[in-house]
Amino acid sequence: MSLTPLGYLLLSVLLFLAGAGLSIVSARCERLAINLSSLLGVLGGAAGLAAALPVLLTGQGAAMAFDGPFAFARFTVRLDMLAALMVGVISLLALLTSLYAQSYVREYAGRGAWAMGLFMNTFIAAMLALVVVDNAFWFLVFFEAMSLASYFLVIFDQDEESVGAGLLYFLIAHAGSVLIMIAFFILYSHSGSLDFASFRGLKLSPAVASLVFVLAFLGFGAKAGMVPLHSWLPRAHPAAPSHGSAMMSGVMVKIGVFGIVKVGIDLLGAQAAWWGLLVLAVGAVSAVLGVLYALAEQDIKRLLAYSTVENVGIILMGVGAGMIGLATGHVALAALALMAAFYHLFNHALFKGLMFLGAGAILFRAHTRDMALLGGLARRMPQTALAFLVGAMAICALPPFNGFVSEWYSYQALFAMGHDGDFMMRLAGPAAMVMLALTGALAALCFVKAWGMTFSGQPQSAHAEHAEEAPFAMVLAMLLLAVLCALSGIGAPWLAPLFARVATSLTGGAAVPVAQGLTLHSGLFNTPASVSTPMLALLLVAAPIVPLLFMAVVRGGGVPRRHAGDAWACGYVTEKTMTVSPQGFAQPVRFMFAALYRLRDTLSPAAGFRRGLGATVAGAARVEPLWDERLIAPIVAGVQRIARRIAVLQRGDFRVYCLYVVVALVTLLLIAVR
Amino acid sequence: MPNLTMIVLAVAQGVILLLLAPLMTGVSRMIRARMHSRRGPGVLQDYRDLAKLFKRQDVAPAVSGGVFRAAPYVILGTMFLLAMALPAFTRTSPLPFLADLITFAYLFALVRFFFSLSGIDSGSAFGGLGAGRELTLGILVEPTMILSLLVVALIEGTTNLGAIGAGIGGNYLQAPAAIGLAMLAFAFTVFIEMGKLPFDMAEAEQELQEGPLTEYSGPSLALMKLGLGLKKVVMAQFLLGVFLPFGVAASLAPASLALAAVALPLKLLAVFTLAGLIENSMARGRFLLTSRVTWVGFGLAALSFVFYLTGL
Amino acid sequence: MENIALATILMPFIGAALVLCLPERTGKWLAALVALMASVGTLALAQAFAAGGKVPLTVDVFSLAGMPLVGITVDRLSTLVAIAVVVLGFLVVLYSTAYMSEGNREHPHVARPRYYAYLLVFIGAMAGLVLSSTLLGQLVFFEITGACSWGLIGYYQKPKALKSALKALLVTHVAALGLYVAAGWLFAQTGSFALTGIAALAPQAKIVVFLGIMLAAWGKSAQLPLHVWLPDAMEAPTPVSAYLHAASMVKVGVYIFARALYSAGPVPEVIGWIGAVMALATMLYGFAMYLPQKDMKRLLAYSTIAQLSYIFLGLSLSVFGSKLAFDGAVAHIFNHAFAKSLFFLVAGALSYTCGTRVLPNLRGVLKKSPLLGLCFGVAALSISGVPPFNGFFSKFAILAAGFELSRAHWLVLPLVLLALIESVCSFGWLMSWFGKVVPGEPSEAVASATPVPWAMRVVFVVLLTMCLASSFIAASWLA
Repeated sequence: MSLTPLGYLLLSVLLFLAGAGLSIVSARCERLAINLSSLLGVLGGAAGLAAALPVLLTGQGAAMAFDGPFAFARFTVRLDMLAALMVGVISLLALLTSLYAQSYVREYAGRGAWAMGLFMNTFIAAMLALVVVDNAFWFLVFFEAMSLASYFLVIFDQDEESVGAGLLYFLIAHAGSVLIMIAFFILYSHSGSLDFASFRGLKLSPAVASLVFVLAFLGFGAKAGMVPLHSWLPRAHPAAPSHGSAMMSGVMVKIGVFGIVKVGIDLLGAQAAWWGLLVLAVGAVSAVLGVLYALAEQDIKRLLAYSTVENVGIILMGVGAGMIGLATGHVALAALALMAAFYHLFNHALFKGLMFLGAGAILFRAHTRDMALLGGLARRMPQTALAFLVGAMAICALPPFNGFVSEWYSYQALFAMGHDGDFMMRLAGPAAMVMLALTGALAALCFVKAWGMTFSGQPQSAHAEHAEEAPFAMVLAMLLLAVLCALSGIGAPWLAPLFARVATSLTGGAAVPVAQGLTLHSGLFNTPASVSTPMLALLLVAAPIVPLLFMAVVRGGGVPRRHAGDAWACGYVTEKTMTVSPQGFAQPVRFMFAALYRLRDTLSPAAGFRRGLGATVAGAARVEPLWDERLIAPIVAGVQRIARRIAVLQRGDFRVYCLYVVVALVTLLLIAVR
Repeated sequence: MPNLTMIVLAVAQGVILLLLAPLMTGVSRMIRARMHSRRGPGVLQDYRDLAKLFKRQDVAPAVSGGVFRAAPYVILGTMFLLAMALPAFTRTSPLPFLADLITFAYLFALVRFFFSLSGIDSGSAFGGLGAGRELTLGILVEPTMILSLLVVALIEGTTNLGAIGAGIGGNYLQAPAAIGLAMLAFAFTVFIEMGKLPFDMAEAEQELQEGPLTEYSGPSLALMKLGLGLKKVVMAQFLLGVFLPFGVAASLAPASLALAAVALPLKLLAVFTLAGLIENSMARGRFLLTSRVTWVGFGLAALSFVFYLTGL
Repeated sequence: MENIALATILMPFIGAALVLCLPERTGKWLAALVALMASVGTLALAQAFAAGGKVPLTVDVFSLAGMPLVGITVDRLSTLVAIAVVVLGFLVVLYSTAYMSEGNREHPHVARPRYYAYLLVFIGAMAGLVLSSTLLGQLVFFEITGACSWGLIGYYQKPKALKSALKALLVTHVAALGLYVAAGWLFAQTGSFALTGIAALAPQAKIVVFLGIMLAAWGKSAQLPLHVWLPDAMEAPTPVSAYLHAASMVKVGVYIFARALYSAGPVPEVIGWIGAVMALATMLYGFAMYLPQKDMKRLLAYSTIAQLSYIFLGLSLSVFGSKLAFDGAVAHIFNHAFAKSLFFLVAGALSYTCGTRVLPNLRGVLKKSPLLGLCFGVAALSISGVPPFNGFFSKFAILAAGFELSRAHWLVLPLVLLALIESVCSFGWLMSWFGKVVPGEPSEAVASATPVPWAMRVVFVVLLTMCLASSFIAASWLA
């Protein structure tokens, strides 16, 4: 069966919705519900990939329009390069997490496991629809539906922390969507139609365009989890079930970035350089603060959530540089920077998804997220350990994995910005590069800690001691992601031009040569910088083989390796508690950067909000009875007073009433005679 | 793709640097000994140590895992790779597809990653502690390193190390203050990465930069020591290759190569001697206050960047 | 078509008389049957209207010397709102057959015949008011609803209930003075009570008529400053609150305003400004009053006040020439009726099964009664305006219209922004209560909950469906 890309996309959405619906229908039989939802998720993901790949490979988009039930909004659909990229990323991760969920959701048996399929599949379907609609109204509908579905995932555990995290998340997401709504409404008031196509052609004054951009930036940024609108992330992502966290961190925050790119570049055309500078600055700060807070965490999922903040920052740095390039007329620079951002978007989905799935596997078997209670899991869960190691290396941007490639391109883009631009750009580019370097070093500490505390050393709790390898579906999903991380790094010369094409579709310039043969180029200067990841990978694998062979020769006749005994503890017997703890490992950095950690508390508005709310509630409680006391009661009292006065007329004496009748008759006669 | 001569040159370069490493560490040891008014074991002692270690049994704690076992190979292999790709004997790098400033930075990060992870994986308290401190030093040093290299890269207009090295001679005349300061800042970084006081101390090495080595023994220890020694040489050569490429061959003519082959050990010797003299005239600092010292380096790098922006 | 309309209006009255004569047990089923027939009547009316190509029709029922006193008008507006009020009336009667019984943990009490009689008269009066083509007809039915609400609010005959009933009657009757003035003025200027005559008035006269109608509307729909009766009216039995204070009586106010705007042609802008500003004031006040409430029904009362002010805002914005605002406001009348009824009926079900409707005592409802938890969630999301539930679509239309108008009248912009802020805040507050009440471990009251009767379940399922579908129905009907 061969469909058009839009046809495959529709099929994909329908498959996910069918997965959701069938989960409800088979709610009684949980195993069936889990398996059905998982199967339909995998099929839906495959269909989504079938929709995205042709568009990405050929550069040929597709569009359609229908009349919806509402007169003010047509249902327009546009599958362009950017949308195809997002559809591809969503579908790929959805496919693998659905596979993973087949075993993972069993943990929730008896606690509403069928509902997991409902919410996950609706969530994914909403995201797929969101990225292709070309009308502001429908965009907002699907955006809110996505937040709604993921809200239910976050509160799934139904304990106090999850519900609190869910409320904060939903509130910030909703406030964000209201800001986006206002931005779209401003554009609507200028163009008279809610279609994005009408927004694209608008000629707005710089003030109005900037207002729209800032509103959209804040609204979508809240969804992306950039500093300072990130406080929901470290609470919500750990609370959600792990495959939900993988989708939320891997894909949903990217919808925020997608929105910023769509509004800033696609709709408004990146008119002013300060927009890009704002995005770049916020991205850089998010990157550094995100990873700084991550390395202080003891809960493995909170660590990963903060790391998402960091990576979103890196992506935003690329987007910011791209916007600056467009605004100042450096189209090639813009294309390179956007391409780096999109590549990192894709890579992060892969490795962060992998790591959350790994955290899920650990949670599944060792029943805790606290790294101080884990340890020694490498022996008991070897495949999970290997996959998680690949993910950790990828996220630290170590060659030859994919993180290295996208960060290399980001560096090159920032370098280009620092080399030929005006003074602001020449200052901002290198500053951003230094911050990126700092982020990389901090990430190394963070993820050595994450892997080391979890998988190395001795198990620190009973559950960790008795942990087993995760079930087959989970391990398969993780290993597939690990392989993809490796392939997208090694295969970068073939993958990079794809992202470059997506970038040039937005910048409208000529294609930037980012790869040639087996080498990646920065494509901009007379001596372009280059790196060849396939060769690098080959050499990295070959180089250790030489000492290995040497060792085999040398030790050929020697005593075999002894793998027993305790580590040295100055003569004391080694105890479990002697190994370095997560907090101890990060202690020097927490000490040296203490001011930045304090920033988190001093700038948090939570205490202020609580005080304000308390004052408002007290005030409202005082005001409520005032209407009765000040308005109704005096009127009633007044009326009763008047009534009492009038009541004097009711003497109760029959003769007085006769007198009244006579008086009335006489008065009327007199009037009639007049 | 690199042709045969370049591959041969690369491998030869790597091997030579690998063989020089124990000599250079031996020189450091001798300088320290002499400045402590000791006789010292001789500059060839490290070769003898390595030979002895290779004959010993390899012992690992029970709790150690695959990373612990694999780390020496990964570290030595990656360092060897870096040694092959540096511009050492020639102006440009023998492996141009690797000789990029960012690639180098991240290959160093790869080494640091595995070194620290092996420390935790050993299950030893000292190993874990040393690992944390190693990574922390990396955090403090990385911005300075990148910024100082960035200044010369911006002046040259590319991050390709070979091109930077090739153009640096002319550029000195263009922006002397910027490059000079950048060189000082980078030298500061190199000094730290080489594991010198005030950031390390032989007597307390287990807790500091060589903490992760605690549980290695026999051949694995030999490989690790070789790898770490090679790291010191690579860092020194990095400084020389980028900032002071005097005496290197401009072409592949045998005469200039021979000249370079003689000049290289001499330059390395000069660097190690200077480093040794500086380190042994200081005492160790408190680890948690290290950031105050590294700020100085960052300040130098930032100053050089300002000079670059203003065109000095 | 007029016969169907007349039958729909008169059937409930006849039914009420019959119910008074019958014993309690049969009386309640007769009441449900009559209400069902009336609902079918409105649906048939709508179907006939649609089949005839949606051509508006006005028929006079009583005329005096050629001047229509009471008439029937069948058009998009009246058919849509008629469906809402009568169908919800039926659902509430059905719900009451279960709620008003000994099984009710909070108010165990079997309903007297007068309860169903009042309820049926109310349904008839609502149908009559919605379908009326003259101001006089509206006035008559307006007063009938006032009288019925007195009877129903004070139904339990406790002192507080009687006091609240009297307060409601007096406040709405004072407000009705506005409608009297408007009717009188219209008659004086045009010689007839027909609503279509408003279009022929001079601008000054229009302002007077509209001010009168607005006063009556504010009183009946509990807007500032005539809102005082609604929170206390929560003394009524919960099905009554659901019907009167969500679906019908409070909708009288917005309906007469909407009908007047529909028939009036171009209206002086000052009316729009007055309406919009008062709507905003009420909205913000209503939200502020959410915060101290612990009784679920009082919280819902204030929520009703705030949502009605949204409708008033939409209608006021339509004065500036925006059809989108008008359609959005009418759609919101339709959507809000279903959503708020659902919310009130959930409160009733919680009273019935758990014996309390005080929010801090209710926790973990989902575990004990998934249907109630689901309904609570759906109702909260519909009221807050989260898609795909109905409230979002009508609110969006009103806000879009506001922004569209802000290009020409920039003062509209702060009003709309304040409305958006209120929307976000009330969303936060309602979801916060949702998080406390629905998920988690059941509290004492919830753990000992009795099962939900079948009649209530049926009503909930219908309302849940409408919470998803009603916005699409309204949008396509009004287009």
